[in-house]
Amino acid sequence: MADNMDQQQTTNTVEEPLDLIRLSLDERIYVKLRNDRELRGRLHAYDQHLNMILGDPWVAQRFETVTTIEIDEETYEEIYKSTKRNIPMLFVWGDCVVLVAPPLRVG
Amino acid sequence: MSLRKQTPSDFLKQIIGRPVVVKLNSGVDYRGVLACLDGYMNIALEQTEEYVNGQLKNKYGDAFIRGNNAYLFFSFQYCI
Repeated sequence: MADNMDQQQTTNTVEEPLDLIRLSLDERIYVKLRNDRELRGRLHAYDQHLNMILGDPWVAQRFETVTTIEIDEETYEEIYKSTKRNIPMLFVWGDCVVLVAPPLRVG
Repeated sequence: MSLRKQTPSDFLKQIIGRPVVVKLNSGVDYRGVLACLDGYMNIALEQTEEYVNGQLKNKYGDAFIRGNNAYLFFSFQYCI
């Protein structure tokens, strides 16, 4: 794979992606986690592992389950369950983070 | 773009600013302009679009992808 570049501290002219996350500190962000989980909250802190502290986050888990229901004929029913939890303060384990972005604007 | 002896890190420096496709382990595609990346393969994309089978979401602005989730990314020129 790529060489293990030790460029954590010394940045040349190109900013690291983590530097750009630093610009999002104290801003609302959208985080995508594994297992079809989404977070929206205000970024209070982060580190190089992408462990994050989110304030006023809104946790949404969206998963789909395919179940077979036999009535007369075999029917496949797709059930989309979306559960939302509102949590005051949240610590996100960086290993689960897939993507970080500004909150999506529904338009 | 010459294909002489170049390390992967040289390739990564070359494609900064180009449109790329990033494939994640979860099967999701992200297409955008490569803004920057680091030694852990953390990626910052601009004008990102998310593709799961069909097109799901449009992310404008910056999108940061944690490096361990990406297993492949390649650059291609948009043919529009």
